[in-house]
Amino acid sequence: MIGKKIILASALLGVLAFGGEQFAMSDSDRAMYAEMLENNPADILVESGNEALAEFCGGDAGLAKFLGVSEDDLPAYIAGFPRYVETLDMVAGLDQVLQALMAQNGHKPFALKSGDMFAMSAYAKSIANEEKINIDVTANEQMKAAYALGDEVFNTKRGGRGLSCMSCHSSAVIGSVLRTQPLPDLGSEANKAGATWPAYRMTKSSLRTLQRRFQGCMNNALLAVIPLGSPEMVALEVYVTDKAKGREIAIPGLKR
Amino acid sequence: MSRLLLLSTTFGLGLAFASDISSAVESPDASKIIAKDLLGPAKVFTMPKGCITDDKDAIARGEFIFQNLNGSKVKGKLPAGLAKTQMVQGKTYAPQDEIPPKQYGNCVACHNIEGAKGAGNIGPDLTSYHDLFIKSGARDNQFVYQKIADARIDNPNTHMTINLTTGLFTEREICDITSYIVSIKN
Ligand code: HEC
Ligand code: HEC
Repeated sequence: MIGKKIILASALLGVLAFGGEQFAMSDSDRAMYAEMLENNPADILVESGNEALAEFCGGDAGLAKFLGVSEDDLPAYIAGFPRYVETLDMVAGLDQVLQALMAQNGHKPFALKSGDMFAMSAYAKSIANEEKINIDVTANEQMKAAYALGDEVFNTKRGGRGLSCMSCHSSAVIGSVLRTQPLPDLGSEANKAGATWPAYRMTKSSLRTLQRRFQGCMNNALLAVIPLGSPEMVALEVYVTDKAKGREIAIPGLKR
Repeated sequence: MSRLLLLSTTFGLGLAFASDISSAVESPDASKIIAKDLLGPAKVFTMPKGCITDDKDAIARGEFIFQNLNGSKVKGKLPAGLAKTQMVQGKTYAPQDEIPPKQYGNCVACHNIEGAKGAGNIGPDLTSYHDLFIKSGARDNQFVYQKIADARIDNPNTHMTINLTTGLFTEREICDITSYIVSIKN
C-alpha cells in the first residue's frame, strides 16, 4: 500500500517537476495529490448523493423511469447529458432533471448551487462511469441551438478585462502558462472536463460541478458570473462536454 | 397548457402537481447579465500630455499594477496614489458596506518582466523592453500605450486583456503602466 503511494508520488513528481519553481504545486501538494488519487475525498460525498437519490428520487430506478429508459440503458443515457428532455421541454443538465424528479416525488428540490445537489448530481453522473461521453449536439433542433449558444457564450469577450473563455482555452494558448498554471486543453485525455466533473477541487477542498467550475473562471477573469442552470450555462456545458466526446467518464474527478 | 396536460398524463398526476415540476427546475435567464457585460468596439487612444514620466511614484504604481491581481490579495504598503479598494461607479454605499477590491493589471499572469514572480508566457517577455524595443526603434511609447489601452487596434484577435476601453483603469494609470514598461530597470 505505502509502496504504491510512493511510486505514484514520484511518477507525479516526474510529470509536474519539469517547470521547476514555476508551477504552483509544492512537494507537499504533490504528495497530497498522490494520496487523493488513491482515495478521492469526494467519494464519501458521492456516496451521500447516492443515499439522497434513493431517499428523494427512487434511486437509479426512479431516475431511469423519469427519463423513460430501462435501468440497463441508464448509464449510456446519462453519458449523453446535457440533453433535450421532453418532459421538461428544455435542454437540461442532470441537476435540473433531479430537481424535477424531487418535485415530482413531493420533495422540495435542492437548490442547484447547494452542496446536496452537487453530491446528488455527482452520484447520478457516476452511474455512467466507464461509459464514453456520447453527447449528440445534432440530435434535434434544441441541442443544435444549445450548442450554438454555448459556442457563442464561449467566444464572447466581456467583463472588466475584455476576455472570453476562448482567450485562455483556444488552441493558440493551450499549454502556455498563465501565472503559474498551464492552460488546460479542455477536451484532452488528461483533462477531459466533460468526463471528470463533478470533481473534488483540492484548492477549494470541496466537490464542485462543471458549471460551478465555469463560474470560477468567470470570477477569476472578471467576467460577470452567470447563474447555474441558466440556458447560457447549460449551453456552455453542452459545448465543453462535446469537446470530451468519446472519452471515458470517471466521477468524481480530482482537480487542482 | 397542452404541455402541462401531457406531463400530467405521463406521470398520472394532478395538473397542479405537474406545473410544480416545471417550476421546480431552476432555469434563470442570463442573457441580460451577458448583454450588460459585453466588450465595446476596439478604440484608438492617444497618450495625453505628460503621459510618460520618470517620476518614481508613477513608475512604482505602474509596476505594482503590472505585478498584482487585485487589492484583496495585497499585504503591506501600496505605492503612493494607489488604493486597495474601489467603489463601483454609480453605486451608493452605506457606512457598513464593504467596498470591493480595486482591480490591478495582473500582467505578470501572461508576461515575464524584471523581478516577476511566477510569470506566465502567453504574451511576449517584456524583460529589457527599453533596450530591445524602444532604443532600437522597433516600438515607441504610443504603441505601448495603445497596446495596453486596447490591444485589438494592433491585433484584432489578441488574447490580451483590454484595459482602457473597459474602463478598468484611468488614462493616468495606463500612463503609469506604460512608463514602467519603457523605463530603464536595474
Ligand atoms: C484568464 C484566463 C481564463 C479564462 C478567461 C477562462 N479560463 Fe478556464 N481555466 C483557466 C486556467 C488557468 C485553468 C486551470 C486552472 C487550474 O489548474 O486550477 C482553467 C480551467 C478551466 C476548466 C477545468 C479544466 C479541467 O481540468 O477540468 C474549465 C472547465 C474551464 N476552465 C472553462 C472555462 C470557461 C467555460 C470559461 C469562460 C466562461 C473560462 N474557462 C475562462 C484560465 C481561464
Ligand atoms: C491574458 C493574457 C495577457 C494579459 C493578462 C496581458 N497581456 Fe500583454 N500581451 C498578451 C499577448 C498574447 C500579446 C501579444 C500580442 C497580441 O496578441 O496583442 C501581448 C502583448 C503586449 C505588449 C506588446 C509587446 C510588443 O512590443 O509587441 C505589451 C506592451 C503588453 N502586452 C503589456 C501588457 C500589460 C501592461 C498588461 C496588464 C495591464 C498585459 N500586457 C496583460 C497577453 C496578455
